[in-house]
Amino acid sequence: MAAKLTAAVPVALVLALSGAGPILAAPGGIGPPSPETPSGEAISRLYWIVLGLCGIVFVLVETALILFIVRFRRRRDTPESAEGPQIHGNTRLEIIWTAIPAIILAALAIFTFTQIPAVQAQAVADEEHLTVGVEAHQFYWEYRYPNGEITVNTLYLPVDEPVELRLTGMDVIHSWWVPALTGKMDAIPGRINTLRFVPESTGDFEGKCAELCGVQHAFMPTTVTVMDRDGYESALAAQQEPLALGKATWEGACATCHGLDGQGDVGPSIAGNGTLTNPEGLRTLLLNGQNTSQFDYYMPPVGRGWPPRQFEALMAYIKSSETLSTAPAPTTTGGGG
Amino acid sequence: MATRSEALAPTWKEGSVTSWLTTVDHKRIGILYIVTSFLFFGAAGVMALLMRIQLSHSNAGFLTKGAYNEVVTMHGTAMVFLFVVPVLAGFGNYLVPLMIGAKDMAFPRLNAASYWLFLLGGLVLLSSFLADQGGAQCGWTSYTPCSSEQFSPGHGQDLWILGVHLTGISSILSSINFLVTIHNMRAPGMTWMRIPLFTWAIEAYSVLLVLVLPTIAAAATLLLLDRQAGTTFFAPENGGPILWQHMFWFFGHPEVYIMVLPAMGIISEVIPVFSRKPIFGYKAVAFSTIGIAFASMLVWAHHMFTVGMPTYLQAFFAATSLAVAVPTSVKIFNWLATLWRGHLIFRAPLMFALGFIGLFTIGGLTGIMLAVFPFDYQAQDSYFVVAHMHYVLFGGTVFGVFSGVYYWFPKITGRMYNERLAQIHFWLLFLGFNLAFLPQHLLGLMGMQRRIYTYTQGGIFEWYNVVSSIGALLMGVAMLVFLWNAVTSWRTGRRVGPDPWGADTLEWYADSPPAPHNFDRVPYVTSARPLRDLRLRLQERGT
Repeated sequence: MAAKLTAAVPVALVLALSGAGPILAAPGGIGPPSPETPSGEAISRLYWIVLGLCGIVFVLVETALILFIVRFRRRRDTPESAEGPQIHGNTRLEIIWTAIPAIILAALAIFTFTQIPAVQAQAVADEEHLTVGVEAHQFYWEYRYPNGEITVNTLYLPVDEPVELRLTGMDVIHSWWVPALTGKMDAIPGRINTLRFVPESTGDFEGKCAELCGVQHAFMPTTVTVMDRDGYESALAAQQEPLALGKATWEGACATCHGLDGQGDVGPSIAGNGTLTNPEGLRTLLLNGQNTSQFDYYMPPVGRGWPPRQFEALMAYIKSSETLSTAPAPTTTGGGG
Repeated sequence: MATRSEALAPTWKEGSVTSWLTTVDHKRIGILYIVTSFLFFGAAGVMALLMRIQLSHSNAGFLTKGAYNEVVTMHGTAMVFLFVVPVLAGFGNYLVPLMIGAKDMAFPRLNAASYWLFLLGGLVLLSSFLADQGGAQCGWTSYTPCSSEQFSPGHGQDLWILGVHLTGISSILSSINFLVTIHNMRAPGMTWMRIPLFTWAIEAYSVLLVLVLPTIAAAATLLLLDRQAGTTFFAPENGGPILWQHMFWFFGHPEVYIMVLPAMGIISEVIPVFSRKPIFGYKAVAFSTIGIAFASMLVWAHHMFTVGMPTYLQAFFAATSLAVAVPTSVKIFNWLATLWRGHLIFRAPLMFALGFIGLFTIGGLTGIMLAVFPFDYQAQDSYFVVAHMHYVLFGGTVFGVFSGVYYWFPKITGRMYNERLAQIHFWLLFLGFNLAFLPQHLLGLMGMQRRIYTYTQGGIFEWYNVVSSIGALLMGVAMLVFLWNAVTSWRTGRRVGPDPWGADTLEWYADSPPAPHNFDRVPYVTSARPLRDLRLRLQERGT
C-alpha cells in the first residue's frame, strides 16, 4: 500500500503541473480581469499580494504534508503495532506557530485597511463627479442621469470623469457587477448604495447581476459604454428619442421573458395581445405585476418607478412594431402579460 | 451479560422493524441518523449532478430555469440541514456515550424525538418540490424580498421554512442532550483534559447550535408571518432585506464551524491512531476548538461585504475573519506534527484524514483571500466562493466524515470494510473533487456568477465547466463504490474484535458492535488514551 501511494504522489504532482501550464497561459490566467479603473487596479494589486502570501503558506503546508507522507510511512519491517516516539507536544514550538500566523494576518489586515480609500475611490466624493442612479429590476437595469435622461441595460459614461453610482433595487436584491471596472455592489430595495470609480479607457465593458434574483438571474446583463465626452453626450441624447427609449425598454423589461418578438419564453406569448395597445391596462399591469395560476411564473412589477415618458415611449415602440401591435390569428389567445 | 438487560424489553421489540421505530438506544439512533443523512446526501448529490449536467456546456436546456433555481436551493439546504449537521449528530450519538464511558445519552427518549423530528423535517423540506408554483427558489440563504410572498408565491417557500424549523428543533434538542451527557456522565477519572478530542468537538458543536439556531428559527418565523399573516418584519421600507441577512448569517456562519469542528474532531482521533503517536499538543487542539467556536460568532457579516455596510464595520469583520485563521492554522500544524516521525499506516481512515488536511488548507487559504474584503468585492457571489466553500465543506467536512465512517465501521457493524474498494473510493473522490472544484476558482475570477442556470461563453470558460462536470461525475462514481463497499461489508465483511486498530479511546473497549448497555465495567481513566494504558498494562503482565 505504502509503495503504491509513494508512486501516486509524483504522478499527481506531474499531472498538477501539466495542468498549470495551460491555465497560466489561458486568457485571464489566474487573476481577476485586467482592471480599467484605479480602484479596480487597487483590488487587483491586493489580490496578487494576498494570493502570493497564501501561495507561500499553501506550498509550505502541502510540501510538509507530502514529505511526511513519504518519509514517515510505516516501513515493511516495522510491525503495525510498533509505536512512534511518544511526543506529546512542545509548548515553545506551539507558541511560535500560533504567533507567526497571527503576526502575518495582522500585517495583512493593516495593509488591507490602507488600501480602502483607493479601492472605494473615496476621493471621487470630493471631486466634481457624474452621479447616475441605478434601478435594478427583475430582470434589467435602468440608469437615470442628472438631466433626467434614461437608458436601459446600457450605461454610458464619459472617459476619465469620476462617476458615482447610486444603486437601489426596485423589487428584490440584485448586485451590479462589471468585473473590468470595479467590485460589485448590491442593489437593495429600501436603501441606496454608492459605488464610485473613474473609468480610464474607452470601450464596452460587460457586466451582470451577481445576486440570485429570480428565474432570469442568469440573463440580466449590462454593458458600460465609456466614450469621450462628445460621444457620451450624443449617444445619451440619441437614446432619449421616444422610439429608441421604447425599444430599449421593450428589450430590457419585456423581451427578457417574453422574447424579442413577444413570442414567449419564460413568460407567455404576448405578440398582438390586446393589453399591449391598451395604455391604462398596460400601465396597471407593469406597475403591479400579476400572478395567475395559468402560468408557471408570476409577472414582476417591471414598470415600478418609470416616468410617464417611459410608458409613452414603450407604447410608441409597440405601436411601431407590426408583430407586437397586430392581433394574431384568432386561435391564439395569448396571456395576460 | 448482554442478554440480561435485553430481557427487560418485550420480545416483540427484538430484531424487528418495530424495534428500530421504538428504540431509545443511542447506538441505534446514531445508526438511524447516519443512514438517513446518507440517503439525503445521495438525494442532494443527485441534485448537484443535475446542475453539473446543465452547466456542462453553454446554453444548455437540460433543466428549465425555474427547476434549476429549485435544485440549487434544495441542494444547499439539504446538504447543510439534512446531511452534514445530522450525520455529525449521528456520529456524536453513537460515539460520545461510548467515548466517555457512559451507558447511553442523558435523555434517551429526547434523543429519539430528535431523530424523528429530523426525519420529519427532511421530508417536509423535500416536499417543497411538490408545491404548486414550484419549490423554494431563492437559494439556501432565502434572502428577502426574493423569498417574500410577492416574489415567491405558492407554498414552496413555506415548506422550506417549516423544514428548516423542524430540523432546527431537532438539532437544539440533540445539542442539549450532548451537553448534559458530556458534562455529567463521564467515566470515573475522565477529567476535561482527558476526554477524546472528538467529544471536545461535539461539545463546541452543541454550544454553537444552542446559541445560534434560535436566531434562524426566529428569522424563519418572522418570514413565515410576513408571508402568511401579512406582517412587515422584512419589508424593504423597514430595512428588512439587511435585517434578514444579519439574522441569517448570525446563524449561518457559526453553522459552517458547526459543520467543520466535529470533522476536525474525527481526524484528531484518526491521525494519532494511524501514526502510532499521541496527538501533538492535546491542549492546543482542544483549546483551538473552543477558540474557533468563539471567534466564529463574531464574523458573520463577512458574507455581507457588498451590501453597503459602513467601512469601519467591514474592517471589523475582516479583522475577525482573519483572526479565525489563527486557531485553525494551529490545528493544521499540530496534525502535521502528529504525523512527524510516526509510523503512518495508510488505511482508508488515514487517507481521508490526510485528504482533509490537504484540501481544507486550500479552503482555509481562499477564506483568508475572501476576508480581504476589497478582493471580496470581486469574488463575492462568484464561483470563487462556490469553490472556496466546497473546499471547506466537502474537502474538509465530507472527507472527515468518510474518515470517520471507515474508522468506526468495524465498531458499528462488527465487520471490517473492504480496504481495496475504500482506496479506490478515496482516489476517485480525491481526483473527482479537485477536477470539479479547482477550475471553479478560475471561473469565478473570469466572472462566472453563482446560481446561474446557464452561460453563453464558449472557449476556456466552457472548458473549465466541462472539466468541473466530469469531476462531479467521477465523484458520483466514487459514491457508488462507497455504497457497494458499505452494503456488502456490512453483510459479509470479516468479523473483528473490539479493537481492530490498536486505538486509544474507550469506545474500542466495548464489543464490536457494543452490547446495548455498552460496557460491563469501565476502567478508571488515567489519561486521554485509556485504551493504550490498558494495552500497556496487559503487556507488562505478559499476557
